[in-house]
Amino acid sequence: MKESKVVIIGGGATGVGILRDLSMRGISALLLEQGDLAHGTSSRFHGLLHSGARYAVKDPGSAAECIDENLILKQIAPHCISDTGGWFVQTRDDSPEYVEQWTKACANAHIPISEISPSEACRKEPLMSKDVLRVFEVPDATVDGFKIVWANAKSAKRYGGQFKTYHQAKRLIMENNRVVGVSTKNLLTGEEFMVSCDIVVNASGAWASHVTGSIGIPLDVICDKGTLLAFNQRLFQRVINRLRPSGDGDIFVPHETITILGTTSEFVDSPEENDPQEEEVNKLLEIGRHVLPGIMKNRVIRAFSGIRPLHREDHDVPGVNKEEGRNVSRSFALIDHELQDGIQGLISIVGGKFTTYRLMAEKVSDRVAEKLGSMTPCRTATEDLLPVIPEHLHKKAAQLLPYAPVEKMLERLQEDAESVLTEIQRDPRKGQMLCECEMVSAAEVEKAASDEDTHHLADIRRKTRLGMGTCQGAFCTYRALPLLWDKKEKYDALQDELRNFLNQRWKGIRPVLWGQQLRETELTRAIYASILQVREN
Amino acid sequence: MSFEQDKAEILDACIKCSACTAMCPVAAVNPLFPGPKILGPDAERFRLEGLQIGTTLSYYCSKCKTCEITCPSGVKITEMITRAQEDAKMSEGGKTLQFSIRDYLFGRAEYLGKLATVLPGLTNVLLKAPLFRQILEQTLGICSEAPLPAYHTKFETAEKDRKSKKQVVYFPGCFVTYNDPLTGQAIVKVLKHNGYEVIVPPFHCCGTPLEGNGYLREAQETAKKNLALMEPYMRAGIPLITGCTSCGLALREYPGLAESASELQAYDLFEFLWELQERNEFRKDFKDIQVSLGYHSSCHLKAQGIGTPSVRLLRLIPGVQVTDLDQGCCGLSGSYGFKKEKYHTAMQIGKPLFNRVRQGAANSEFQSVITECGGCQVQIRHGSGIETVHPVWVLMQAYGFFQLLSSGRHASSELV
Repeated sequence: MKESKVVIIGGGATGVGILRDLSMRGISALLLEQGDLAHGTSSRFHGLLHSGARYAVKDPGSAAECIDENLILKQIAPHCISDTGGWFVQTRDDSPEYVEQWTKACANAHIPISEISPSEACRKEPLMSKDVLRVFEVPDATVDGFKIVWANAKSAKRYGGQFKTYHQAKRLIMENNRVVGVSTKNLLTGEEFMVSCDIVVNASGAWASHVTGSIGIPLDVICDKGTLLAFNQRLFQRVINRLRPSGDGDIFVPHETITILGTTSEFVDSPEENDPQEEEVNKLLEIGRHVLPGIMKNRVIRAFSGIRPLHREDHDVPGVNKEEGRNVSRSFALIDHELQDGIQGLISIVGGKFTTYRLMAEKVSDRVAEKLGSMTPCRTATEDLLPVIPEHLHKKAAQLLPYAPVEKMLERLQEDAESVLTEIQRDPRKGQMLCECEMVSAAEVEKAASDEDTHHLADIRRKTRLGMGTCQGAFCTYRALPLLWDKKEKYDALQDELRNFLNQRWKGIRPVLWGQQLRETELTRAIYASILQVREN
Repeated sequence: MSFEQDKAEILDACIKCSACTAMCPVAAVNPLFPGPKILGPDAERFRLEGLQIGTTLSYYCSKCKTCEITCPSGVKITEMITRAQEDAKMSEGGKTLQFSIRDYLFGRAEYLGKLATVLPGLTNVLLKAPLFRQILEQTLGICSEAPLPAYHTKFETAEKDRKSKKQVVYFPGCFVTYNDPLTGQAIVKVLKHNGYEVIVPPFHCCGTPLEGNGYLREAQETAKKNLALMEPYMRAGIPLITGCTSCGLALREYPGLAESASELQAYDLFEFLWELQERNEFRKDFKDIQVSLGYHSSCHLKAQGIGTPSVRLLRLIPGVQVTDLDQGCCGLSGSYGFKKEKYHTAMQIGKPLFNRVRQGAANSEFQSVITECGGCQVQIRHGSGIETVHPVWVLMQAYGFFQLLSSGRHASSELV
């Protein structure tokens, strides 16, 4: 039996955002996550920090929320955001009437736009189609899902917040129409225990109806699968949207070292249905070609899918029309089950977008605080997410790792940077890049492997970007194994770790097997299936 | 296809196999040098994000281009590194002022040559004077131990058209023009002996030294000037020949620079002579000579992907024994080994070759070494103390234009 004022279920952006917000208000909170932080929807999107322009015409409310949050996040989390700017481009296939409608809608939502000439646009983005008719600049940006989720979690921890990964909320415990705790299972040890609390916040996204379902409360969450493609390099310097009513495959997002093209939309029955399919890939390529004419020659390193947890407020519309994903509001809903179902101590937060995670967290935390009688106001809109990294660490990192993108490393590691750098100083061999595609040092991987909340190679990947680059784990997977071996009491049998990690990579590679990625995969197959004799069980 | 699309596809072609780094002569001797894969295609993905990474270390790349010929995917690794250096220069990253000035000068081999050959005697006295060399090291960072080559009266150009049916254009290159004109004369003589009229337009530097010192755009400008000089001969279908392997590699890359240049037929001297041999047009009126030679293949010859035509050709001469030394890079790489912070790396790289040369000479396996590259000749002499010359001198001897290749003395000083 454990105790906490609040239990948050779900370690995505919203969940950790709530954990941080409550912790900053001095309200004790424990977050339970069935996998690793950000393993679900929060890392399975295009990484676009919306300016709101995409929603301006159809959903002005969301558009206004987006532009506000866009400006706030650029202030409080600049290390997780790349302020690339974005364009909306009208191609020959896109209607001029929509352009007029859109420019008006942006003005109404106070989203600043400015038109630039197609010739200037083609000079700035030489790979973009030369056939664009009109180009508008908007304050879109890109955001790193992994980084911002971990930054929230670490910040929350500094304020006393707790989170437990690989802990599944099995069911809610009720007493007299009041939720009083959560029956929890540690998925690593199999141990089950109860956490008692005053309030449960259900922030489990696509899994939200499973949580309320444990006490028989229906929650209408639609699982809308979105598939995306990751290209090997930054093909564009800024986000490029098609200027037309939102549809499949019309956003290119330069994200860290890659470019992401998304997104499809299709209703599925369960959050686990996230295997990208060949048809989806073909659809994306066909549509993407209008903006990136050389698309078939630009290397795609993987496809991936996330599940958007959409909320449909009217219970009467049956979920039969599976093409309707985009017509359901992208805004979020805070459901106080006391008001809706007469159950006290339970709040669900569903729907929404990554861009508005902080606002969603603020609204939920306000409601929680009110219920608990706390008067402390929200501070997440003004307080920096990242602690200041001392100047001497920047210098030391640049000196010890003369060819690595050290600022990225420092931002990932935050307060752990000092110990990693000291280790490299002690043993310079650990300054070598274990993952060369994404430039992650052996020392950093070793640190991530020894973290108490790391349990699998995939957890290390989410913390460091190991295995996410060009080679998709061909070289770094076997290089990381000895570091797991050192902590073997923590990890599954290495054979299993290796196989699971490679299979996760393979899941995304399989639908994009052509060209250079096919060559890469053959090399990977030679290393693991031939030299290392890795076999399916 | 556009330049940018091309660039994107070349980066995409890297499958991270690391063959380039495994074969990199610098990475083999300098554990701090991360190698061509990391500085090239790996870093490139971050450079596209606007991050300047590895610039300072990238100056340890010797531009030998072993990585490019090794790469099974056709990635232009050296070019990628050079372009990054150039971009870094724009944003003033990576180099000290001293090294910037020095590299600016070393890039301009043509102007240095012009200056030095105003009074070559004086230049050579200065270049041999220890005090002057100390000053060069202190002021410009040019290593005082480095084997800076001596200068000679400039090799003369000749464009007289005698309407002969068999014509070739000769591209002498800066080393022949300013440091070793006798080898240039020897090449002209061998070509004439085979019935060719040799035209030598007033070419500029091929651009390799500029590229090697991080001035890619300027190298391309120089290349365009040379292409303009070649234009009338290209139209007449006259082949272009060079005896220098670095110039040869650069000339092979010229056609990408101008549309009209697609008909440029650039040949290495021995590649050309071997074609004559295959057409039964190569003259084999050889004198009876007995020489044993060690052959060193320069990195820029290897990068041309034409094998070792000089070895094949010289083996046609009765009494000539040629051993392919096959010990990798000599380390010099143009001006790389002259730089004080790189001199020791260069000597380390060349060590296996120097040892092999000394051992071969000591065992009387061969008397001297031949290699097409002027820089390699200078470095092998410096590192091993064994006489090293251009292979054309073996032909000169076989044709009877020149007496005995002697050991210990510079053969070219004994011509005529």
